[in-house]
Amino acid sequence: MRKIFFILPITLFLVLGIFFYLLVIDRNPSEIPTALMNKNVPKFEVDELFDNKKFVSINEFGNEIVLVNFFASWCKPCRDEHAFIENFSKKDGIRVIGVNYKDKSSSAIAWLNEVGNPYSNVVLDKKGKLAIDWGVYGIPETFIIDSNGVIKYRHVGPITEKVYKKINIIIKNNK
Amino acid sequence: MLAYLGTATICLTLFFSLSQFFFSRKSSQIKLVNFSVNAQLLFSLFAFIFLIYAYIVSDFSVKNVFQNSHSTKPLIYKISAVWGNHEGSMLLWILVLTLFNYFIFKFYNSKNSKLILKTLEIQSLIIFGFVLFSLLTSNPFEKILPVPENGLGFNPILQDPALAIHPPLLYIGYVGFSAAFSISVATLSLDKNFEVDWFKYMKPFVVIAWTFLTIGIAFGSLWAYYELGWGGWWFWDPVENASFMPWLLGTALLHSLIIVEKRKSLQSWVLLLSILTFLLSVIGTFLVRSGILTSVHTFALDPTRGIYILTLVTLLAVYSLILFSLNSKKFLNESYFVFFSREGSILLNNVIMLIVCATVFLGTIYPLIIEALTNNKISVGEPYFNSTVIPIMIPALLVMGIGPILSWGKTNKFEMLKKIFPVMVAALVLTIIFLYIFKSYKPAGILGLFLAFWIIFNNILPLIKLPEKKLISMHLAHIGIGLIILGITGSSVWQEEKILKMKFNDEIIVKKHTIILEKISEIKAINYVALRGNFLVFDGNKKLVTKLEPENRFYPVTNNFTTEASIHVNLFRDLYIVLGEGNLDDGWTVRIYFNPLVIWIWIGALIVFIGGITLTAINIKKIKN
Repeated sequence: MRKIFFILPITLFLVLGIFFYLLVIDRNPSEIPTALMNKNVPKFEVDELFDNKKFVSINEFGNEIVLVNFFASWCKPCRDEHAFIENFSKKDGIRVIGVNYKDKSSSAIAWLNEVGNPYSNVVLDKKGKLAIDWGVYGIPETFIIDSNGVIKYRHVGPITEKVYKKINIIIKNNK
Repeated sequence: MLAYLGTATICLTLFFSLSQFFFSRKSSQIKLVNFSVNAQLLFSLFAFIFLIYAYIVSDFSVKNVFQNSHSTKPLIYKISAVWGNHEGSMLLWILVLTLFNYFIFKFYNSKNSKLILKTLEIQSLIIFGFVLFSLLTSNPFEKILPVPENGLGFNPILQDPALAIHPPLLYIGYVGFSAAFSISVATLSLDKNFEVDWFKYMKPFVVIAWTFLTIGIAFGSLWAYYELGWGGWWFWDPVENASFMPWLLGTALLHSLIIVEKRKSLQSWVLLLSILTFLLSVIGTFLVRSGILTSVHTFALDPTRGIYILTLVTLLAVYSLILFSLNSKKFLNESYFVFFSREGSILLNNVIMLIVCATVFLGTIYPLIIEALTNNKISVGEPYFNSTVIPIMIPALLVMGIGPILSWGKTNKFEMLKKIFPVMVAALVLTIIFLYIFKSYKPAGILGLFLAFWIIFNNILPLIKLPEKKLISMHLAHIGIGLIILGITGSSVWQEEKILKMKFNDEIIVKKHTIILEKISEIKAINYVALRGNFLVFDGNKKLVTKLEPENRFYPVTNNFTTEASIHVNLFRDLYIVLGEGNLDDGWTVRIYFNPLVIWIWIGALIVFIGGITLTAINIKKIKN
């Protein structure tokens, strides 16, 4: 009985330590599972930034694989990931829809003129309502929607080299 | 330039932690140990001052300043931004470590040299581990090129006086337990034959750590209360739990140290407890900083940091716990306690604190276990914690009232009854008076009030009757806890919440107070714009009590919205108004809380703090004599 008292603490700790270790190596805080995973994209109808028309979600999703990228001109990490977004649309030929989050239209246009516009459509989310529907934590955030209009993947934070490759693999697997 | 100086001073701190390690292994090198101890304190202080300076002059070539500050920020928040982020807070952590290292050395004399040198050896390893962590994964002096024009600001909800001092207080708590850890490990690795009362040295560190942890937690919860705008002050958030768990173990440790002092028994238990308390402080940091548990206190998340801290805590744990399993038998002595005695009551307190700590720990990591096993995300919230922690705590509170007046060894039960009978009557009478005032007879409220008054009266009486000098601080601390219980009971059992839409000149009656929305005005401040609601509050006799002006702020730099609750405080209740969204036509959403007795939580914490500080002074004196 008394022996247990001496050995128990170290045993308990080792079990806990291994558990935590598995969690840390296995977990990327950017990959927060979304409640929308494997569900259809939320339905919405909003204004577009450039063309004076409405963007109607049911007409736009469900035909091909699409990336949806939440961004804003005031968001520094969005600038960091911009090269990768350009790569998706120009090099890989994937349609990317931009959601301009809580931004001034004039600054968004100026920003896109400066860094280049990789988006097939830029839709406006001035009050952040769309972001709430999509469960966006903070921008930038990127979603993969497959050709059935189903959300397949969600990445929180700027896209890096590693994430870029990963998204490409996921896109290939869903084609 | 500044950045290089900063990195250099951190490197020097690292160097001197190593030199302390080697020199403290030889008792002949005491001068060099002394030098290393001072050098570490000095260089980590320099590093910290450099970082503060970089924030004050808004040197955006330092990445940390760029990410967390902005030139328009008020000076005080530029400074507090230093520890409002992961890298800077690690630097503060290191500074406090070296400060405690310094105080450990201050106790050095020819009689205790073995113990103190061994302790310094362990402490230098801890310092080394954390400084290396800072240099490798979180150097606050990392440069950024090209130099940006302005910073990315700083989360505006963190721009707050209570929050500015909350982290330093908390860190003194967490890190203070490192000294207890080192003393414990040192004791375990030395021969039992050396005749030094190790617990005497451990006690002031435990008391000071526990005291600061208490006041630190109180400031954090005060901040959550008026800043988060939900009318509550404790949310069982993982970060709150990470500070509450070491507090519980620290409470147990503090009390069992008293038994060791008086009776020399329970030594191996205290050695274990002091190890666990510090490990738990570090594990809490690990859980929060690694991003394993997400919470309102978002620090930058980075898995490599998680792995590093986990490695560090594993090394500390494996070393200390194996040492414990091998050597602690020497400290075991068979002695049995009478249940109805002061040591009996302390032992019961220990058991309960441990159970509560395990319960909170389980609730905190349960979502992780479920996620690992089933891939489902769940969240364990208030209902779990409230329905487990509170019932377990009740016996502890009952004992807390009576423990301090029990005597050591055997207590005459009849004498005892004579003593506590009047207290019981007084507590009951006051409970009934309060119930009459609140006009509500919820069982939880009756129990909470009775326990609070029970503790307070039991500890006030000995204070009035010529107290034993050395017991004053203990009675004070217990009265403080009693007041905290009073506040917790009042604000959780009798809180009233009203959520409604209000237009101009609308009236609402909350607990005999008539509240009128007079107007909404626009405010422009240096770094935010705000909508401010002007509310008039009248009492039952139509006399104006106060004007409340909650704000809805927008910070353009970070594109953040915050709500500033406006609170009218008195000793009986808080009136708490939050302005939500709205417009002229539909009116504004307004949340009004009536929170009875909530101020006693903070007053209680302050009294505990005063008790703790005086106790530390007494304990330091004891060593010096």
